[in-house]
Amino acid sequence: MNRLNALLLVALVASSLVLVKSAYDARRLFADLDRERGEQRRLELDRERLEAERQAQATHLRVEQVAREKLAMRTATPAVTQYVVDPGPAK
Amino acid sequence: MKHKAPSSRRVTYAASPLLAAKTPPGRSRFVVALVALAFAVLVGRAVYIQIIGAGFYQQQGEMRYGRTLDLPASRGRIVDRNGQILATSITTPSIWAIPKGMGADRAGREKLARLLGMTPPELDKRLAENANFVWLRRQVDESLWLTVKALGLKGVYQVAEYRRQYPEGEAAAHVVGFTNVEDQGLEGVELAFQKELQGRDGSRAVVRDRLGRVVEDIGEQVDPVNGRDIELALDSKVQAFAYQRIRDAVAEHKAQAGSVVVLDVQTGEVLALANFPSFDPGDRHHLTGAQLRNRALTDTFEPGSTMKPFIAGLAMQSGRVTPSTVIQTAPGWMTITGSTIRDAHPHGPLTVAQVIQKSSNVGTVKMAMQMQPREMWELFSSVGFGQKPQLNFPGAVTGRLRPYKSWRPIEQATMSYGYGLSTSLFQLARAYSVFARDGELIPISMLRQDGPPVGVRVFTPQTARAVREMLRMAAGPGGTAPKAQAIGYSVGGKTGTAHKQEGKGYATNKFRAWFVGLAPASNPRIVVAVMVDEPSNRVYYGGDVAAPVFSQVVQQTLRMLGVPPDIDVKQQIVTDALPAVQESF
Repeated sequence: MNRLNALLLVALVASSLVLVKSAYDARRLFADLDRERGEQRRLELDRERLEAERQAQATHLRVEQVAREKLAMRTATPAVTQYVVDPGPAK
Repeated sequence: MKHKAPSSRRVTYAASPLLAAKTPPGRSRFVVALVALAFAVLVGRAVYIQIIGAGFYQQQGEMRYGRTLDLPASRGRIVDRNGQILATSITTPSIWAIPKGMGADRAGREKLARLLGMTPPELDKRLAENANFVWLRRQVDESLWLTVKALGLKGVYQVAEYRRQYPEGEAAAHVVGFTNVEDQGLEGVELAFQKELQGRDGSRAVVRDRLGRVVEDIGEQVDPVNGRDIELALDSKVQAFAYQRIRDAVAEHKAQAGSVVVLDVQTGEVLALANFPSFDPGDRHHLTGAQLRNRALTDTFEPGSTMKPFIAGLAMQSGRVTPSTVIQTAPGWMTITGSTIRDAHPHGPLTVAQVIQKSSNVGTVKMAMQMQPREMWELFSSVGFGQKPQLNFPGAVTGRLRPYKSWRPIEQATMSYGYGLSTSLFQLARAYSVFARDGELIPISMLRQDGPPVGVRVFTPQTARAVREMLRMAAGPGGTAPKAQAIGYSVGGKTGTAHKQEGKGYATNKFRAWFVGLAPASNPRIVVAVMVDEPSNRVYYGGDVAAPVFSQVVQQTLRMLGVPPDIDVKQQIVTDALPAVQESF
């Protein structure tokens, strides 16, 4: 009987230690997960910002100005456009 | 222990009789009761803490290790019809401080003040406002925060805040509007769709460890609900182009301001709505003054000659005239109840079509005076004059159209050529969509539409087409605005020029010039209205100032919409002019 009790005591202590360890692991992993989530959010916001910035750099006003001044391009008019008729899907 | 008293019992505490204390039994009972009471109090207290007050203590405990984090929702984006971003939220650092935790590091403070763009006394004053929390500067660049952080000052922190970014800047500023520092819409679509754009913040309760890391979620998490994206009908290309053209026109004619409205008459969508002067909605320092006015919607003026086609339409619709009915406009003036109405240039006999083409006041008044005031009033209100535009947009004005019962004959006459009532440029553009849609008036929308709109018939298709033909003549050779012609596309439209109202009368040297028209005239796709306020570089007629802007905007817009040209164009494409040699076979 005493032996059984001793065995159970050892088992109890061991399982308690495992519990402590796993709780610790769970918390650490959760902290990691949370950090990664924060990082994901930060990157998403970054992407949003960069998208907005890219578009601000490529507004139609700016594109036209650059095309006109740097590349010496002109706006196309119907006079310099050859209109073609779509013959429909090829059979 | 020989004798026994009924009320007392000897308790022997020691074997030695010397030590035999004669404790009265009442005292020992008293002690036992006292101890029992103490236990009862302890048990009661335990029950109180564990059961009755459990919630409170749990909460107190959580307060010491738990934190509730805000999960801020992001404001929805505003995009144009092709998904181009017109407004979006990005996070930027806002710098704040706990003044009592800052210490008295003079040199550090001076450096900080310089970085923040303040003088040291200004900074001190700001820090003296509240010992626990002050904003130093909100919504700064990431790089500025990094420099401030590098100073290593105690008590200076940052928090990420949302800020609106407007990539299209000044070109679409009046439509998109702007928000205040708390992310509340103040103008334009930002204000009109505040409810939809604004999200709902969420929260989550967490346990934090000693290092500030989140180690556990407790309780339920409330997810943030991000704001809805708003998809406008606007085409940012058309918008940018229209803005650029009106900006150039205002500069060229040394004008005060200008506006352009472009409507897609097939769907009733607003493709562009541009005003100059404009502003950069992302720069909070300059968000004041007249430049914020969305003039196309908020400024009213007397529509002048642009009203004449409606009178001609009504006269034809009611069978009083046909396009070829001749009206005598000689000698170029007429008198109604003592007031004289004049044409700037006398013309002699004109057909109804020519009255519109040449913009004859006398001819128009002769048609109008055959009508009942009620008829005219009904026409004007049915095309939207004097009615608040059914447009979910702040600041749209009603314009002025007095009830017909109070019209005097001279007023009926002047109203037929556009004086005595007022309208915004937007209302005028919408009214002209009646001619473009074969007599139907459709609702106009700032948002992208999916289905075809349901219109209300104002004119018969025949009448609308006849007026369109007159508008085409007015914008053609012999009309008032040949400069409205666009390469490749037939256009129709009407000019307007008026002295500006000043006080009770009209200013002699201040004008307003405008042009409203549709294109392509054969099967209209767009209505464009252009207005230039106070052109003061010698030319001031609508046909000279506003019509060229109309022409360019029409040409570009139709091209962008992929509408094929409907009139022949002299090709300038240089192909190989050499004759081909016959193939031998």
